[in-house]
Parts: sequence; structure tokens; C-alpha cells
Amino acid sequence: MSKSGEFRSIALIVYRDLTRFWKYKFWLAGQIGMNLADILIYALVFNNMVNTQLIPDYFKFFTTGVIAIAAFASAFSIGREVGIEIRREYTHYLLGLPFTRWVLITGRILGGTLRGLIYQSSFILLAALLVGVPDLYGWLLIAVTSTALSASMSGLAIAISSSTKDFNLQATFRALTYYIFFFFSNVFYPRQVLAMRFPKPLAEAIGYMPVSIAADIYRWAFRYNLEIDIGQRFLLLMVWTTGMLIMASLIYLWNLTRG
Amino acid sequence: MHMPALREDLRGLWLLVIWDLNRMKSRTLFVVMRVSWFALQVSLFGLALSAMVRFRAIAGTNLDYYHFYLFGIYTSMLFSISVSKAYDIAEEFEEGTIEYLLSLPFPRRVLALGRSIGGGIASFLFTLPMFAFIVYLLGSYDPVALTVSMISALAFSIGVVGFVLTVVLSLKSSDSTDIAFGLLDAILVRLSTVFYPALVLSKIAPYYYAALVNPLSHMSDLLRTIFFFEEFKAIAVANPDLMAAYVFGLAVGLSTLAVLVVEKAVEGGGWK
Repeated sequence: MSKSGEFRSIALIVYRDLTRFWKYKFWLAGQIGMNLADILIYALVFNNMVNTQLIPDYFKFFTTGVIAIAAFASAFSIGREVGIEIRREYTHYLLGLPFTRWVLITGRILGGTLRGLIYQSSFILLAALLVGVPDLYGWLLIAVTSTALSASMSGLAIAISSSTKDFNLQATFRALTYYIFFFFSNVFYPRQVLAMRFPKPLAEAIGYMPVSIAADIYRWAFRYNLEIDIGQRFLLLMVWTTGMLIMASLIYLWNLTRG
Repeated sequence: MHMPALREDLRGLWLLVIWDLNRMKSRTLFVVMRVSWFALQVSLFGLALSAMVRFRAIAGTNLDYYHFYLFGIYTSMLFSISVSKAYDIAEEFEEGTIEYLLSLPFPRRVLALGRSIGGGIASFLFTLPMFAFIVYLLGSYDPVALTVSMISALAFSIGVVGFVLTVVLSLKSSDSTDIAFGLLDAILVRLSTVFYPALVLSKIAPYYYAALVNPLSHMSDLLRTIFFFEEFKAIAVANPDLMAAYVFGLAVGLSTLAVLVVEKAVEGGGWK
């Protein structure tokens, strides 16, 4: 298959995954409602309770952090469909289509990535409105960070969902991974707060989770927290993304072909 | 009403409750996920939140935010699990089970009441391990407080399931059910005293008034005052008698609404 043919096939797979995304408009509406309620109710009210010596402005802290949650939750949605395909053995049809397995894997991960980016874009604009407009460098960082986070989460969801044909196990693995990324992140609380209540290694480890790293970069890009070592955070995110994409692709490939 | 008819109605009610309880077995996975969510919420999220708030200074209590939070998170879990009955009922409609139930030889009011009570008991039983866990964390084992709080939780759950039944059978659409209850859950939990006391909400007037009428505020503050009356009486949305009346009124009112809707308006078919 020629290179242009491969790109065309990838584009078709991505297009197919995106059109299916709109079928979940009711799930999306619920998700948007939840994220908006988190920002406009929870964060706004909690801002009046938080110790300002620890977090000077919780509303801004949370609004920038929730962008990471938004990308990760929507990119994760592709796992559900991959799970159905594996259970119904629809994957045999996908493997029978005239493109290579790597084209299929790339297309699926890219489809999930675009879902994350599309969903997240409205929250980026909302953050720009509520927190402040980033400069050009900030926008660039946001774009790369969102793409990297969505890609790694899309790959992870695909790898998890394709690991078993058992619906219950698929849903449990996916939900547990989701909970771990959701709670073990600094979206809701900064590292110094975690260090006050938990052993230092745990607090440190949470700071190195991909959702935490992405939240830190967003906070820097929106000028909420300029004390972050942005170079180190960016490098860490790239390492996470590269590692997770390689692992996820290999696992998905193995699961697709193991019979 | 003649005694045989009443006996028949009660038998129908009993069968429906048992039917709902038997369906619990198929929801093991759901319970595992909810319990994991709950365990992470109270062990990580709750502890982290309590480290960053100035609760004692704001609420003027000698208890810390974690105590306040535990009652709130249990209430939100009870509410979410009761609301999740909506998805079960939607599925029953898709599978034709609702039509089957409507055709059974007992009055519609028995069907509505049986499903509300059965669903309420099943949802309450799901949350019992979580309730036991928060009681253990609070270290408060007063038998009267335990009994009253469990009865209140059961009444609350029956009321919510009655409401869910009314809405799902009126909407007759999986998509509308999905969005209506997803949004309702997200908004009601946040616009209540689950995470923050009414005192803090009072700084934003619309949120405060919404929280005052929100059943989740009454349920969570009722639980707080049942266990720690002195500490929480000043920051509750109302006095405990009123909150208890609200919760029991909710159960009776919403179950009655379900009876009215099922008796007067629900017919088989037409599911979208």
C-alpha cells in the first residue's frame, strides 16, 4: 500500500470514529453538564472555603485543571467501542479490510485523540474567558499538551478494553483506571495539600501522573501558576505519551491478532 | 376495601419488592465499581479536601471538614444509586418487561408502589457497606442514631426511586432518560450541602436558595444532626424535625406521584 493510500485509510478510520462520537450526544451532554457544574458551582462555592495560603484562587486553579479531566474522559470513550468490537468479534471484519494493522491502530488512536480534542476545546475557551487569555506560546503549549494527553488516554483505553472479551471485566478495568487517573491527580488539590495528609512518596507520585502533568502545563499556560518548571513538565508528558502510545499500540495489536 | 382484596394487593406488593431485590444479583459489577469509587472518594479525595479548607473557622464547629464530608458523600452515593434505577427501568422498557408488568393481574397502584419500595430497598441495601464504612470512620455507634439514620436513608431512597419511575415512564425515551438523570445528578449534588455547608452557599444567593429546597441538602444535614447534633445544628439547612419531615414527605409524595402517573397515564409501547 502506498503512503498516500495509508493516509487515506487512516483518515477514513478517524472519520468513522468521529461520526460515531456524535451518536453519543446524550452522553456528551451529560458529561458537559457535569464538567460545567464542577466549574460554575463546585469550584465557585469551594473558593469561599479554601485556605488561600494554600491555594490563592481555587476557582482558577480548578478551571484550568478540569481541562485535563475533560480531554481524558472523552478520549477514554473510544475504549467502550473497541470493547464492543472485541466482544462481537467484529475485529475480524476490521482486520479483513484492505489496510495494514498499523494503519488500523493509528487510525483508532487518532480517532480517540480527536474526540478528546473536540470535547476539550469548549473548556479551553471557557478557561480563557474565566481565567485569562494565554499568549501565543501558551496556546501552542495547550495544543501540544491536549494532543499528547488525548492520544495517550485514547491508547490506554483501547489497550484496556481489548484485553478481555468479558464485558464485566472490560467495564471494571476501564472504570478502575478512570478512577485512578481522576483521583490520583492534582486537578482538585495541589501537591502541597497532598503532602500534608499522605506519605510524601504518594504525594510526589501523584504529581508525576500524566493528568497532573497536563494540569500543571495548563495552569502555566493560562498564567495561573508561573512557578512550574514548564520544561521539565513538558518533557515528562512527552515521555509518558511516547511510552503509553508504544505500549498501547503493541497491546492492541497483540489483542487483535491473538485469535 | 375488602380484606381479600387488600391481602391480594399486599401479596402483589411483596412479589414486586422481591422481584426488585432479585434483580440486585445482576448488578454486582455496578456495585463493585461504586464501592471502589466510594473507597477512593473517602480515602483520598475527602482527606485531601479536608486538608485545604478552613472549615472550623467558617462553620464554628469543633469537628473537622472530613466528618462533614463523610455524611455528604454517603448521601450523594445513595442518591446516585437510587437514580441509577432509571437506567434499569429504561432497559426494562426496551426489553418489554414493563409491558409484561403492566399486564400482570394486580392494580397499577400496587405496581407503582411495589417498584418504588422494591427499588428503594435495593438501592439502600447497595449502600449499606458504604454506610457501615463511614460509621466506622466516624467512630459513632449510637444505636438510636444508627436506626434513625438508616430509616431516613431508606425513606429517601424510596422517594427518589418513586420520582425516577414517574419521570422514566413519562419520558419513554432512553436518550432523554440518559440526559435528564445525568444532568440532574450532576446539578443536584453540587447545588446542595453535600460538599459545603449552607453558610458558604449563602454567599451566592441563587445557589443558596436552590440548596435550601434540595432533598440532598435535607438528607445530608439530617444525617449530620442525627449523629452530631451539637456540632452541626447551627449550619444545617433546617432543624432536624423539619428535615426529617421533608425526607419522609418526599418518600410519601413522590411514591404517590408515581402511583398517579402509572394509574392514569402509562400505557405499554411508544418507547423511543
